[in-house]
Amino acid sequence: MSPTTFHRIAAIGAILATGAALTACGSSPAPGEDGSASEGNTTSKITFWDPYPQHKDGSAWDEHVKACAPDGATITRTSAPQTDLFNQLTSAVKEGNAPDIVVLDNPMMPSAVDAKLLATAEQAGISTDGVDENLLGPGVVDGEAYGVPFGSNALGLYYNADVLTAAGVDPASVTDWETLNAALAKVVAAGSKGITFSGVAGEEGVFQFLPWFWGAGADLEDVSSDDAVSAGQLISDWVGDGYAPKSVTTDNQSAAWDLFLTGEYGFAVNGSWFAAAAADTDFTTGVMPIPGRDGGVAPVPTGGEFAVAPVQDDDASDHYANAAAVIDCLTSGDAALETNETLGYLSAKPDVRAQQVAENPLWEPWVSSVEGAEGRTTKLGGAYVDVSASLSEAIQGALNAAGDPAGVKAAFENASGY
Amino acid sequence: MSEVTAARALVTRGSRPTRGTRGTTPPGARRRRRSSTWIAFAFAAPLIAYLVLFYAYPLVQNVVMSMHRFDRNTFVNGGAPFVGFDIYGEVASQPRFWPVVRQTAIFTIVSLTLQYVFGLALAVFFHRAGFRLASGLRALFLVPWLLPVIVSGTTWQWIMNADNGILNSFLGIFGVDPVWWLSTDTSLISVIIANVWLGIPFNLVILYSGLQNIPTDLYEAASLDGASAWQQFWRVTMPLLKPVTLITLLLGLVYTLKVVDVIWIITAGTGTSQTLATWSYGLAFGKGTSSVIRYSEASVVGTMLLLVALVFGLIYIAVQRRQED
Repeated sequence: MSPTTFHRIAAIGAILATGAALTACGSSPAPGEDGSASEGNTTSKITFWDPYPQHKDGSAWDEHVKACAPDGATITRTSAPQTDLFNQLTSAVKEGNAPDIVVLDNPMMPSAVDAKLLATAEQAGISTDGVDENLLGPGVVDGEAYGVPFGSNALGLYYNADVLTAAGVDPASVTDWETLNAALAKVVAAGSKGITFSGVAGEEGVFQFLPWFWGAGADLEDVSSDDAVSAGQLISDWVGDGYAPKSVTTDNQSAAWDLFLTGEYGFAVNGSWFAAAAADTDFTTGVMPIPGRDGGVAPVPTGGEFAVAPVQDDDASDHYANAAAVIDCLTSGDAALETNETLGYLSAKPDVRAQQVAENPLWEPWVSSVEGAEGRTTKLGGAYVDVSASLSEAIQGALNAAGDPAGVKAAFENASGY
Repeated sequence: MSEVTAARALVTRGSRPTRGTRGTTPPGARRRRRSSTWIAFAFAAPLIAYLVLFYAYPLVQNVVMSMHRFDRNTFVNGGAPFVGFDIYGEVASQPRFWPVVRQTAIFTIVSLTLQYVFGLALAVFFHRAGFRLASGLRALFLVPWLLPVIVSGTTWQWIMNADNGILNSFLGIFGVDPVWWLSTDTSLISVIIANVWLGIPFNLVILYSGLQNIPTDLYEAASLDGASAWQQFWRVTMPLLKPVTLITLLLGLVYTLKVVDVIWIITAGTGTSQTLATWSYGLAFGKGTSSVIRYSEASVVGTMLLLVALVFGLIYIAVQRRQED
């Protein structure tokens, strides 16, 4: 190839590159203001995304979702972990090929709304009637609802009754932080291990920390308050005193649960979605609400996801009609109960919840937690994600301080979530 | 690697001085040349389209993104304002910026050095060892390379578990107190250990093949002259291994700079194990402590990494050219 040829080809290449770059940054359509489920018709192919990769094809959940397809339609279900699902949704809306229905983790709702990714519940024909206000909170932005939570999970304090009995601890004696620490000391002195929880970096660790944070009276608007630091000191001391494993800094909730399943630990902070698994263990388990610092039940963050309809560019009304049909099926009548039982959630509707409790005594201890749960984003809206990031840094710092009060205080004061 | 070699091929081709025929060509020949030009273009087109689509465009896009303030909304709906180099300044003034740069430098330099030293020691050992099990043993050393990083990373996490990891049990035999390997202060050392272990096979394989290319008569001549094994290593092996050493270190540098997987699996980039690459990953995908996606900041850090890799690529080309002359 002669040099002139080379230059010519290089020039063509450069033009192609600029062209591609221009088309890429140029025209993105404005987010869909139009489209309404009532003006559309359901289509034969419906796409459904959820954050439950653990429910494989052919599982009870998979079949339950697919059974909700309107006549003549088939549902294609895709799963990815929470954060990845949100990222994929972002790209999909950008490219104009978003799915009909997405099941989105509740603290992501304000960010998704801020980024104009979601159709309003009204547009998408999603009914929010009869849903508890505290559970609906994260999905309401500026008075407008965007989707509906079909159920909720909550955190509780599981215990291994065998370990507690051997250590001479009465579960009923645990009513505040002091008595909890006393129980942990006895359990460890008796040769068992103390408590497992998840302190992993990110939202999951923050979710697990909030009951202690709120239980100390701290407020998300001031994450470096003395009350906040006292909650950090509590979990930091557990690591320092050897009550909790050092792996809490990297354990997610599943890893923390696996540790509890070894039967060596006295206590575990974990979610209601493990209630059925807890009943299956070969040791006796119990569960109690997480205690506040000075007694009482600590508020736990609402857990669970929202069913939402992403914004669509083309045939928006038809896509919204799909969303309306499938979400209505999943959240009303007998299917609503099955949806929650399959996922291990308590329904967001009081009447369905009452039915769940009546049929399955396993749920009894969770009701007060779910009903007293606070939405993580209800107060702060889109600002929550930044606060959560700072809090996550603080938790990591506090756990690493292993009980050193100066270290814990510094971790909360210097936390920034950049 | 492919970027570097491709760039080098383009540079040398473009600058070769073969002009001077223009203007004196007869018309018929010119037509013939023009058609052959198009044929040449047709042959090169797939490669060029590939380079532009998969190399040039993402690179340009990355730089463009680092100069516009993107958030999730503007990423989806457009309209990110142009801010020039503002975001570079913001990233560099983050309190964690310089510590992360320092950690990246330590991670890269220590990993590279140890990988090379261990790799070379093993390569020399296997090269000189004539025993029957040598090739089988050498194959065993490739295991870290063949294992998926998710497996070896998770295994290292277990090994380094502070409460019941095997590493602490082993150290306990010698009376060493348990180390909290994955804590803020020591996590950098931990991920370096895992990364060195991962990188040794690569160094072993390349250096071993380099050793095989050194003629044996040189060693014979050296030993006739009375050179000790140590002298043979420094006077024969090392000088003749220099080109292979260079390419090993350069490739190793680029690999090490961009390591995310093994660090992420072991510590999720917490504490001192945060490097520019893991930081950029966390910013770009809302992973780690913050679930906020910072598109522009992630591009800034990515661009910085690219520039560092580019500088070393150019140094490599310069050194190689000097060797060829």
